[in-house]
Amino acid sequence: MQRQNPEIYEDRVVVRLVQFSVLWAVLGMAAGVWVAAEFLWPTLDFGQFWLSFGRLRPLHTNAVIFGFGVSALMATGFYSVQRTSHVRLFLPGLAWFCCYAWQLVVLLGGLSLLAGWTSSKEYAELEWPFDIAIALIWVCFGIVFFGTIARRRIRPIYISNWFYGGLIIVIAMLHIVNSLALPVTLDKSYSLYAGAQDAIVQWWYGHNAVGFLLTGGFLGMLYYFLPKQADQPIWSYRLSVVAFWAFTYSYIWAGPHHLHYNAVPEWVQSTAMVMSLVLLAPSWATLINGVMTVSKAWAKLKRDPALKFIVLSLAFYGLATFEGPMMAIRSVNVVSHFTDWTIGHVHSGALGWNAMVTYGTFYFLVPRLVGAELHSTRLANLHFVLALAGTLLYILAMWASGVSQGLLWLSVDRLGELSFGFRDIMAGMRPYYGLRLVAGLLFWGGTLLMAYNLFMTLRGRRTVAVSPPPVAEPWRLERGAAGIATERARA
Amino acid sequence: MNALELHKKIEENAGLLIFGILLVSAIGGLVQVLPSLFQESLSTPLSGTRVYDAVELTGRDIYIREGCHVCHSQQVRPLVAEVERYGPYSRAGEFVYDRPFLWGSKRTGPDLHRIGGKYSDIWHEVHLLDPRQVVPESIMPAYPWLAERPAAGVGDIQAKLRVLRRLGHPYADADIAAAPQRLEGLREIDALIVYLQMLGTGLDADAADAADAHGGH
Amino acid sequence: MGRGNMERGPFLTLLFDPARVFRELADAERTRIRAIQRYLPLLLLLPPACAALGGIVFGWRLGASEPLYLGTAQAVIVSLLYLFALCFGFFSTVALARWMGVTYGAEGSYRVYVALFTVVCAPLAVASLAHLFPHVFFNVLVMIPAVIWSMALLYRGLPVVLHIPPERGMLMSSALVGWLLVAAVSLLGISAGLWTAGLGPAIRI
Repeated sequence: MQRQNPEIYEDRVVVRLVQFSVLWAVLGMAAGVWVAAEFLWPTLDFGQFWLSFGRLRPLHTNAVIFGFGVSALMATGFYSVQRTSHVRLFLPGLAWFCCYAWQLVVLLGGLSLLAGWTSSKEYAELEWPFDIAIALIWVCFGIVFFGTIARRRIRPIYISNWFYGGLIIVIAMLHIVNSLALPVTLDKSYSLYAGAQDAIVQWWYGHNAVGFLLTGGFLGMLYYFLPKQADQPIWSYRLSVVAFWAFTYSYIWAGPHHLHYNAVPEWVQSTAMVMSLVLLAPSWATLINGVMTVSKAWAKLKRDPALKFIVLSLAFYGLATFEGPMMAIRSVNVVSHFTDWTIGHVHSGALGWNAMVTYGTFYFLVPRLVGAELHSTRLANLHFVLALAGTLLYILAMWASGVSQGLLWLSVDRLGELSFGFRDIMAGMRPYYGLRLVAGLLFWGGTLLMAYNLFMTLRGRRTVAVSPPPVAEPWRLERGAAGIATERARA
Repeated sequence: MNALELHKKIEENAGLLIFGILLVSAIGGLVQVLPSLFQESLSTPLSGTRVYDAVELTGRDIYIREGCHVCHSQQVRPLVAEVERYGPYSRAGEFVYDRPFLWGSKRTGPDLHRIGGKYSDIWHEVHLLDPRQVVPESIMPAYPWLAERPAAGVGDIQAKLRVLRRLGHPYADADIAAAPQRLEGLREIDALIVYLQMLGTGLDADAADAADAHGGH
Repeated sequence: MGRGNMERGPFLTLLFDPARVFRELADAERTRIRAIQRYLPLLLLLPPACAALGGIVFGWRLGASEPLYLGTAQAVIVSLLYLFALCFGFFSTVALARWMGVTYGAEGSYRVYVALFTVVCAPLAVASLAHLFPHVFFNVLVMIPAVIWSMALLYRGLPVVLHIPPERGMLMSSALVGWLLVAAVSLLGISAGLWTAGLGPAIRI
């Protein structure tokens, strides 16, 4: 007997979050292009403190990670948790609160960074009032997300929800612990931790912000949207189970690989190195799952630009999750630490994986949300070429500059004296900064095309009201793993 | 019950899933991070390391505000080439009063941990106001506003010292009372230069080497 | 057309009419396959030879004022390692592609795969002439169009040669691009590791 579900999904908040996400992508990447240009022409701040590199760079990172990234994760999280649970969002009003309150935090936080309110801790620069606001909103995000799961009409919790769940829980833990500080004034606080201890806590946070926000959260996106776009179930359920838990366990240890040859205990550095290498396995298990799932969907590539983004995002995910462990090896890190290579690595992940998987998801999702076709497939295909070119050029430029810097900093002549002065080396990297600026412009240009394309797709249209499909009762547990996976694909 | 069946139980129970994620993700932090918070060697100052005084602290807070740590590291690694370029490598005991730490993660510009005493005050002033006057190929931004603002405007110095004292920094009442006077007549740039000039000077390299030899950290 | 053009040599045909080369490989034209395969040793030897020569005579310029010279012995060792890396990279890519081919329904003998990748890598090999003047940025600038060209050859040629629809070819090519990115970064990492271990330019750790 099938029970009808009279509810409709709350998708308007999804649309709004997608819009904000795209807005922050455009603004955050514009800031990125500006700071890239400042590497070449340092007077591009025009003597203004609010355009100064030291303040603008954290604005860039915060806007893209917390503006673009988190909004995309909230949007896709809210969309997918409803559909994998076959119920409407729990407390939709709270979801709307999360949406707007978060944007306010990103906006005001960004302005506060320009005003010089900063803790200096990477990806945790916002001062304590914002830290508290973030924690509160995050709790609300968790309530909506897990509340929806609690009301679900399907017993098993689909794998994408484990990753979103991991995102919510682990980021909460990391954020609260790392942000602990004693406030002095509204704009200033002093960290509870000092020196080497602060370094260890910060990179436990910093690396796992990458791990559970930029990797884990977006894997949640992948695990839901890839089977949808490919119209195939995930290739191996078993692999995804093992991968998830191994991932959640091992990523946390990797933080101190940011502190190789720094003043922290050697055993801390070594455990980080080993676990970073161990991390390769679960990361690539997911990669294989993704590649094998999409391999069956090749026929869709002819007409679907979105899928192209997903396919290449997997290639860059593979690169970034291989490069990371490799750079975590101490003898490689000797050369790479403090150089542009690290920046190249960050952007191979941020542009090649995070941005591209999000773009592919948005191109798929937005037309569906309003029951229309994408405004222009041609523009989306052009965007793909720009995104791919921009990403590859960025990576190549930073590999060349980073390895050069690292090697030259360590170079000695026949007498054992340093061969090169710092200034000399720095000046020599200028051409690569030029290439990197071009790369950023290409990528940003593609993003602008997408913003226009999605805007035109949404314009004048309303979100389609979709009801959860009726669920057969009673739920049969005898179905094997494959059966569950298939059921998810039909959700 | 095999592993997959056990997992199905977790998959069907949100509470178990949440608890499982929390437990599994907490292990790394408990083993790797927590012990270091109680490790003496990471919180014991080296012999020449002392708290920042009012002017130095003001300078440090300006350094943070302007984002200097975004381009400059403060961590000389124990690599021969690095020690040759910058000076003695950085020991944990030198940073015990650094809230937050400023080791940095990128060297767009050179490491600054041993910059203290290497250049004159005038050099620093000219460099901060327009880097290209002293380093023609520099890509560092200029900071003209530092010469126009009073150091006393960088937050409430007494409140800052009191908070730091709560966190364990040994400031005497007299230091805190005298703090505003110390800042009188100083511009932000002066405070910043005072901070830069003391960076890394507190290390007695021979004593530190001896400490390392005895398994310092 | 026909025999006349084949006498121009497969290399020139590759430059000006790659589509034709791919079609002939698809038809498993033995003469074409053999002709292409004969170029493989040259393509593999050219980069390390140019790098060695350039490194010894001109010195590697990484951007700072003075070049970094490798002693002759070191340069030869490094170039041999480069050769080894290229051989390993080439044949492992062939092997990987054959292994992946099953997933994408690709059909082709080992020889055909070797010929395909020889064609795909040809622009890179030609570009390696830039190693004769080993200024890193100059090499990067030369490599960029070469990489673009090689990627285009891969995406265009693979489905034709292996008899699969272009969309399946796109997936397989993308998987190979992923592998090649990993291989490239491994080369960087291994190089850095070797330098740290003492093999390569003089550094003090």
